[in-house]
Amino acid sequence: MNVSRREKRKDTALQMAPMIDCVFLLLIFFMVATVMRIPPPFQVELPDSKERQEFPRKKFNLNISADGQMAIDDQVIPNLDELSVFLNKNQTKIQTLIIKADKNAKHGVVIDVMERAKQQGIDTLAIAIREGEFRGD
Amino acid sequence: MLKKAAGGETSGMRGGRLRKPPDMDMAPLIDCVFLLLIFFMVATTFAPLPGLRVKLPPPGKPSAEKPKGLLMRIVNPEPGEKEGVMVLNDEIVAMHEVLGKFLNTPVHLKNMLIIQAERQVLHEQIVKVMDIAKRSGIDKIGFAMVARGP
Repeated sequence: MNVSRREKRKDTALQMAPMIDCVFLLLIFFMVATVMRIPPPFQVELPDSKERQEFPRKKFNLNISADGQMAIDDQVIPNLDELSVFLNKNQTKIQTLIIKADKNAKHGVVIDVMERAKQQGIDTLAIAIREGEFRGD
Repeated sequence: MLKKAAGGETSGMRGGRLRKPPDMDMAPLIDCVFLLLIFFMVATTFAPLPGLRVKLPPPGKPSAEKPKGLLMRIVNPEPGEKEGVMVLNDEIVAMHEVLGKFLNTPVHLKNMLIIQAERQVLHEQIVKVMDIAKRSGIDKIGFAMVARGP
């Protein structure tokens, strides 16, 4: 009885191949699904809003700092003309331009950006708001 | 297990040459793959990004007609102030009164809100007004801008 048990234990071999297949599949899925969060070169504190819509996370988010600097993801855009060139080049890749403007950014800069986006044929924009629950005033 | 399979006395001999046993060590590869998997699992966020949708009007010349609806004018904030004075259809309003004003507006005027704000007004104030407008059922919001040549 004892001997046969020991023999049985010897024969037990863990099949690793199916697990590795699964792990590879999962890895590929997560690699494809991941959109890296690229932090802007400056700090952006988003405004808060109770009303909110949801947008899929994509590349090419336009950040506007409190002092009017602009950056697409982590690439600084020095002026509005450069922004126009960038938007023109990537127009087909941007369906909705997400504007992440700091709450202390000037409205004038945001309007300028909207104007340039419209000139380049991007007519759907989203104004990003703070994530998480609405805190209110 | 692999060693056992390769260690067969006759199966290892073919054409007089000894076939090398397939002894590839998979463990480091699996370790790497697991690490990558964990990294991507942690880095992935499936939660959507919250925001306010802005639909820009189709290109073309802006109409000379004054659109009917609500007009909110916001002037530059005074030095030291965070919010500029707001004028809703020729009446000065404070931020806490805006929701009530919008809700009491007759339905036929509630189709559109035009925000005419000066350049130095803070973005936060605009988002607050947009938020209140959307909550009170105004779904079309327009931003007034100075017409410029091409």
